[in-house]
Amino acid sequence: MTVEPHHPTPAQYWKIAALLAVLTAIEVAIYYVHLEFDLGNLNTISLLILATLKFVIVVAFFMHLRYEKTVLNRFFVGGFVLASCLYAVVLAALGALIIRGS
Amino acid sequence: MTATAARPQTTIFRRPSAKTGLWSWITTVDHKRIGIMYGYAAFIFFIIGGCEALLLRIQLAQANNEFLTAGAYNALFTMHGTTMIFLFVMPASAAFMNYLLPLMIGARDVAFPRLNALSWWIFFFGGIFLYSTFIFGTSLAPVGSTGVSGNLPIGGGPGSLNFLADSPGGGWFGYQPNAGPLYSTGTAMDYWALGLQILGLASLVSSVNFIVTILNMRAKGMRLLRMPVFVWMSMVVAFLLLFSLPIIAVALFMVTFDRQFGSLFYAPVGGGDPILWQHLFWLFGHPEVYILVLPAMGMVSEILPTFSRKPLFGYSAVVFAGAAIGFLGFGVWAHHMFASGITPVAQAAFGLSTMTIAIPTGIKIFNWLGTMWQGRIRMNTSMLFAIGFVAMFTIGGLSGVTHAVVPSDWQQTDTYYIVAHFHYVLFGGAIFGLFGGLYYWFPKLTGRVMNERLGKTHFWLQFLGFNLTFGPMHWLGLQGMVRRTWKYAPETGLQPWNLVVTIGGFIIAASIAIFIFNWWTSKRHGEPSGLDPWDARTIEWMVPNPSPEYNFAVPPVVTSLDHFWQLKYDKGPDGRAVRKPDADEIVAKIEHDQRNPVSPIHLPNPSYFPFFMAIAFPTIFYGIIYHTAMWGKALIFVGVLIGLIAVVGWAIEPLEEPHVEHDDEGHTIEAAGAYD
Amino acid sequence: MTETLHEAPMDHPEHESTGVENRKLGMWLFLSSEFLFFGALISNYLLYSNRPGFPDPYPSQIYDIPFTSVSSFVLLMSSLTMVLAHNALSRQDMNGTRTWLFATAALGAVFLGGQVFEFTEFVVNENMTLSTNPAASAFYVLTGFHGTHVAIGVIMLLSLWGISRRPGGLSEKHGMNLELVGLYWHFVDIIWIVIFTVVYLLSVPPA
Repeated sequence: MTVEPHHPTPAQYWKIAALLAVLTAIEVAIYYVHLEFDLGNLNTISLLILATLKFVIVVAFFMHLRYEKTVLNRFFVGGFVLASCLYAVVLAALGALIIRGS
Repeated sequence: MTATAARPQTTIFRRPSAKTGLWSWITTVDHKRIGIMYGYAAFIFFIIGGCEALLLRIQLAQANNEFLTAGAYNALFTMHGTTMIFLFVMPASAAFMNYLLPLMIGARDVAFPRLNALSWWIFFFGGIFLYSTFIFGTSLAPVGSTGVSGNLPIGGGPGSLNFLADSPGGGWFGYQPNAGPLYSTGTAMDYWALGLQILGLASLVSSVNFIVTILNMRAKGMRLLRMPVFVWMSMVVAFLLLFSLPIIAVALFMVTFDRQFGSLFYAPVGGGDPILWQHLFWLFGHPEVYILVLPAMGMVSEILPTFSRKPLFGYSAVVFAGAAIGFLGFGVWAHHMFASGITPVAQAAFGLSTMTIAIPTGIKIFNWLGTMWQGRIRMNTSMLFAIGFVAMFTIGGLSGVTHAVVPSDWQQTDTYYIVAHFHYVLFGGAIFGLFGGLYYWFPKLTGRVMNERLGKTHFWLQFLGFNLTFGPMHWLGLQGMVRRTWKYAPETGLQPWNLVVTIGGFIIAASIAIFIFNWWTSKRHGEPSGLDPWDARTIEWMVPNPSPEYNFAVPPVVTSLDHFWQLKYDKGPDGRAVRKPDADEIVAKIEHDQRNPVSPIHLPNPSYFPFFMAIAFPTIFYGIIYHTAMWGKALIFVGVLIGLIAVVGWAIEPLEEPHVEHDDEGHTIEAAGAYD
Repeated sequence: MTETLHEAPMDHPEHESTGVENRKLGMWLFLSSEFLFFGALISNYLLYSNRPGFPDPYPSQIYDIPFTSVSSFVLLMSSLTMVLAHNALSRQDMNGTRTWLFATAALGAVFLGGQVFEFTEFVVNENMTLSTNPAASAFYVLTGFHGTHVAIGVIMLLSLWGISRRPGGLSEKHGMNLELVGLYWHFVDIIWIVIFTVVYLLSVPPA
């Protein structure tokens, strides 16, 4: 019974979770700022970046994908990229890929 | 993960132990037995689907025929397509994969033997669920209309099989809103949508299982680029299933929600978008085409080199072309929708991507031809089917390229030209390949070879019948005969060729009858095959015939592509392979070693739980169809309960009962999958 | 997550050619296919969420962002407790494992309770049902399927917790079980990260 040496320690997990919480708080804050002072496309872009960050952090550290074999990375990223591409095309073809800034 | 530690045995039922008889089949987790069950079930559905096709052809043999009503005709073509795709070609391919994959990569079993049994039983109950629509399904007239069945006029005389109209009639593609609650009333389309859902689940489970098996269970030295092409194609198929089934699952769930719970996804009346269904369906549906044909391509890639006595020409090109087909297969779905009003940009893009997919397919065809070129060809039944595959698939592929040309496709959409095209690909392709595989691997199942005379008669009759049936459909389609239409007028001039088509259909039926007879007699009285009837190339032939339960008594150590062939042959001075002088002794020694395990071999124990868990799904889904009734809700509850009990029982039951470990050269125990 | 919780080394050459345990590889494959599943549901919502002309209300007109932010936060933190449970097990800290497993299941249950409350609120007070318009259908089916995933996760967590309460309950074989449940749980969480941003924060009714 050995612990993978590179895995984060509990203390580090708490820090990562705190970071996730802060990012979520920023997201909600941006949402309200946008309601008051129209941020336009900046709202969409910043929220998507923040969501991506949270997504990547959970996958990399909590799911330990950072420390896993390449084969798992490939499958996971492959599934994500495939899904994104296919549905982006479907939505574009159905005329629904208009990101509204306001 | 070793089983040395004696655990307290805490199973719900006493462990099944029958080796023969019905219970042994219900509880088996042996990949070979599961493969055999898949195969027989698939073949029975092939017969049923074939009978449905013959009924359709009887109706169309004459202009203005009154043999079938419109509703019965709709039900028959819907169920014919659904059956042939989901209940015949897919499980038949699964049968081959189940039986052959572990043997071909030198493994004891698949990675998750009980999940494998679960896949099979889910498939089995899914098929029964789908077909129970003929008994329980209804297809009522919409409110306020008279004289119509569903959205169709009633026609035909009293003896016109109208009872069949109470079955799914929305086509295997289930286009919306026609298959939605407004136009396909009654429960029949619910059986269809939920039945496909169950079948999809079975395939999803086995796709995970097969990928893990192929990636993780390979014998020593079996590197990825030493695997037989069939294994490669199975892996590509498994990935296609893995990524396309979730899409159709969502699409079908939305159909069920629309039909049962009043959601508005596809109904234009409520603001829904029927084109969304088409996108989701073909996102799955086009990869599905490759799911059907790639296993057959893999089999042909095994058969052609064996009977040409040459290595496969351009092995890695064939492998990469297969992977490329799988990858590109996700990028061409909208070519099914050129007539659905998608934008010109989308039409151009999907026209181009569709043409692109002809390139890897062409690579494969030329490689197969290159394999036969200058080979010492043995023209037996299996080889005939493989060559038939290449020829017929090429015709189907070429007519497919014509669909990539958008204006031409507009002309052909919904005509018999399309029907001709996909039957050349799926019958001339997939089914010819599957028959080739059956003749080729029959000795693995039975230890006997099939009768060649009957086999060749079968081939030529089927070849003739096939071309008579589907060849004329090309020009019938170009003359404007539309699909899915139960009648045509005499003045269209379509009658003569339609009669030919119908005759061709019955010739196919006759050829299948010969095949069944051949199978039946060869199984009992066929010539014994010995270890290596075909002078084969791949390692599944290093196992005695019929295959013993434990597969390899001595785990193989693979040193090259076509490992078995390399053991028997040397490279001669002119570059041709020369059989080693002691090849016969080598084969005899292999047979002796593989027949006599040096130490006891522990196999996964049989289990009740896959069977019970599989029962849960149709139970729940029956409940969903009748959820408005009290007993429907009760069924859902009972189904969930069965599922939960099965999960718990499964989880606490070890894959193998505790036993003493023999960790010797024989690799006696299954280590990794002890809890799948 | 490669702490080998097995007593014996994997010395069978025919197994794990990739170096990844069978069940773990299977779970990752399954999760990668789940992207296609949730992708379809999310696209579905994006397609309808701001199509003009449907009867009111659109989901985005009635979202309770503060409430959903809190429940999103709860689910996010359940990923922390999950990974702590896993870490505790790898240190053979059985008390810690039990505590964190239970905490994870509890946080999941709180999230589910929030969803039930939200749905009830929408149906009863806001008059938005599955049949109101396609946007509402898409919203309910998407979040409903996500909730189903959470519920299955909670059941699995509670089973593990139940096993861990028995003496010697969490043996070597459950190490991998815990890891697999953890992977599933985190996956459900990342799907919610996407849903929270794309479906809740970024969604606007048609102008």
